[in-house]
Amino acid sequence: MLDSVTITALSSALDALSQRQRAIADNIANINTPRYHAKRVQFEDALARSVAAGDGTAAATIGESLEPTRIDGNNVNLDTETLSSIDTMLRYQFASQAVDGSFSAVRTALRTTS
Amino acid sequence: MSSVAALEAVASALPTPAASTPAPTVSGSGDDAFAASLAGAVDDLRGLQSTADRLNVAAVTGDLDDIHAAMIASSRAAVTLELVTAVRNKGVDAFTEIMRMQA
Amino acid sequence: MTFDAIGIAGTGLTVHRKWLDAVSDNIANINTAVSTDDNAFRARYVLVQAGQSSPGVYVAGTELGNAEGRLVQEPDNPLADENGYVRYPDIDLGDQMAQLILAQRGYEANAAVVDRARNSYESALQIGRNR
Repeated sequence: MLDSVTITALSSALDALSQRQRAIADNIANINTPRYHAKRVQFEDALARSVAAGDGTAAATIGESLEPTRIDGNNVNLDTETLSSIDTMLRYQFASQAVDGSFSAVRTALRTTS
Repeated sequence: MSSVAALEAVASALPTPAASTPAPTVSGSGDDAFAASLAGAVDDLRGLQSTADRLNVAAVTGDLDDIHAAMIASSRAAVTLELVTAVRNKGVDAFTEIMRMQA
Repeated sequence: MTFDAIGIAGTGLTVHRKWLDAVSDNIANINTAVSTDDNAFRARYVLVQAGQSSPGVYVAGTELGNAEGRLVQEPDNPLADENGYVRYPDIDLGDQMAQLILAQRGYEANAAVVDRARNSYESALQIGRNR
């Protein structure tokens, strides 16, 4: 009941989104650092495969952006990072609420039967 | 009353599960599956509560990377405790009712 | 580290603020004249590097501009030497303004990260609140 694929997948998503948020913070902090390459966190495909297999656990993988660099060797794109930052924040909020909803549902079921 | 003491109070009011109780996945049908699921919940309770306590401490000492892990663990432990408590209360109510009928 | 992203953005804020300080110092001194016997005011540039063992950005050092500056003919200036020359800093205002814009943009971007990270953590703290 509390170990369903759904809650496990939402939990994995929260872990990965949190890592993505840290990577974005690192990219924006280093937006003017020479030779710095933007970090990218991927997990959506791995999570989809894991859910299809009936599991729900998936680890995030951290890679480097292959976008072209500027003269100082830095390839952080502020617009890309800004949009990704907002996107990640909203997804994290959604996953948090979804997990909370799962627990609330169980609590409601417990209360109405007593 | 501390959380561990609350656990003990609830757990002691329930019959101890048989040694061969399987893991709490609902695979059988009817009564057996529910009993297995409930017995699993009682076993899990101490583990869930100690995990929640451990993560809460890690969060305040700065050793926890993801705050949501602590929130989820606390919710898991709390909901499992509510489930076990609700079933115990039902069991006690039913027992009391039966005793009244026999009197 | 709990609430990590905020700390990482914090390093970005610190570094960009130091850059803003250096640039505003350079611009304030763009017309600081000295006699030809002394070094000209040297422009300051902050060197940064990504964190090695932990994420974020850190100041690696400071680079100073050239000390020779520009020699300008100003015979009426009290600091002028026997040939009428005064030494001005070798600072290009256009270049400094471009740096100012980059530093300010970087600072604001990091401030936005702090805000969004705080938003995310607050929503996580809501899990399980409504019992």
